[in-house]
Amino acid sequence: MSEYRLKTPLDREDIDKLRIGDVVYLDGEIITTAGFPTHQRIMDAIARSEEPPINLKGAVFLHMGSCNIDTPDGVVTEYVNPTTSTRFNAFMPTLVRHFGFTAVGGKGGMDQSCVDALQETGCVYFSMIGGAAPLLTEGVKRLVETGWDDLITQFRLSRFEVENFGPLMVAIDAHGHSRYADLTKAATDKLSEIKRKLREGRQASTS
Amino acid sequence: MRQLPVTYEMMKSTTRDLYEWSLKKIPEDSKVALRSALDAETEDAPKKALGFMLRSAERAETEDTLLCSDSGVPTYSVKIGTGVEFGGDIKQAIVDGFADLVETIEPPILKFVTNPLTGERSYRGKDMPIVSWDIISGADYIDVTCAPKALGGGRWAALEIFSYPTLDEIEGWIMDMVVRAGSQHCPPVTIGIGIGGSFDHAAKLAKQQTLRPFGTPNPEPILADMEKRLLEAVNSTGFGPMGTGGVTTALGVHIDYASGHGFTPVAIAFNCWINRRTRAKIYNSGEVERIE
Repeated sequence: MSEYRLKTPLDREDIDKLRIGDVVYLDGEIITTAGFPTHQRIMDAIARSEEPPINLKGAVFLHMGSCNIDTPDGVVTEYVNPTTSTRFNAFMPTLVRHFGFTAVGGKGGMDQSCVDALQETGCVYFSMIGGAAPLLTEGVKRLVETGWDDLITQFRLSRFEVENFGPLMVAIDAHGHSRYADLTKAATDKLSEIKRKLREGRQASTS
Repeated sequence: MRQLPVTYEMMKSTTRDLYEWSLKKIPEDSKVALRSALDAETEDAPKKALGFMLRSAERAETEDTLLCSDSGVPTYSVKIGTGVEFGGDIKQAIVDGFADLVETIEPPILKFVTNPLTGERSYRGKDMPIVSWDIISGADYIDVTCAPKALGGGRWAALEIFSYPTLDEIEGWIMDMVVRAGSQHCPPVTIGIGIGGSFDHAAKLAKQQTLRPFGTPNPEPILADMEKRLLEAVNSTGFGPMGTGGVTTALGVHIDYASGHGFTPVAIAFNCWINRRTRAKIYNSGEVERIE
């Protein structure tokens, strides 16, 4: 397992070399939202052949909330933190293919239809630690712009400038491998054996 | 000594502060458990994930900031001693304590209180904060626990009602729910389980058990055995810290039971690795004792 510091926009060579478990820190730009309604609006925009308020082409698109406060000196980003990506399974294959995202991320992973889209287009999924706001926020330099400001803060499309942003752990690579799929399969395959051991343990403690 | 009543102000400031502390500091026993887990893991990825968690916890505590952007919805467990004298509306004090937190906490918290009918997000809403009330016989204090619930931890709780189940069926169902949740609840988690009673009571028992500190013994031998057995079983599923694989999916499995009829509800609830759980006692003397 390797550790990389990569610059956005990510190129195909960067993406292809990433393997499950690699740790990545990013310089450049990321686009974030934690909103279900935001994803619906992006889907609507695609359906109407319109552009969302922020250019998403080739972006690093993260399922992440942020708390941004207006101050006399400008906007201060108090903290950022990932949200559960599986909530967006139904949208992500379309979004990944349409915008050619180079990386997506959040926490909890995505389903097989997303894994297929990532492999097809050459895109990786970064897992962030839920509850690592102090570490992730340190890498945020500046909120560059937001879109759909009628939504609550964490739902807005937000473009950030970042420096040494991470830790991001590769959990789905661009070659069809998903740590989530592997772990779920392994646990499911083991489940009857685990239940059998529970039964034996119970019998041993009552005999 | 003359007894003083527990005032509205005491209840308001205590419930407010408990919430803030729960967002910025993980419990001491969680730190110990995470460090032990770090020693127990042999693979690189789970070791790294646990290391990031411990570093994040340390940073949040020293920098007085939030661990997670999802500050959850306010949930309190309030146990009132029968010797307590009320000096004001302590129920309203909890509502106002949360409103005060929203106005004053630094850094600010985001809106998570959601109307399930309209999807509207706010800082207030029907039945907020969610409070469970209990009575403690003979005590001269109010015992308050704050455990804000976020999406990751809240989403995967479950309840099933069985008819005269065997322990085999109960444990089998628990493992099904553990595999269903996978790594989406930000493991390593604390698992609380309630068996028996009624629909609502089993859920309450499960929730209360997520708040039990690690290493506290279960007084019921059947459950003490079950806790040990299930912890081992959960950790053999291999999801690991934040889904990085490894041997630490849960830090503890805590179980309580209640007598009931032949219909037996079984409930399971999860606390994420941050393990939000703060507690204080407010005494008639006016003293507020922070337990954790």
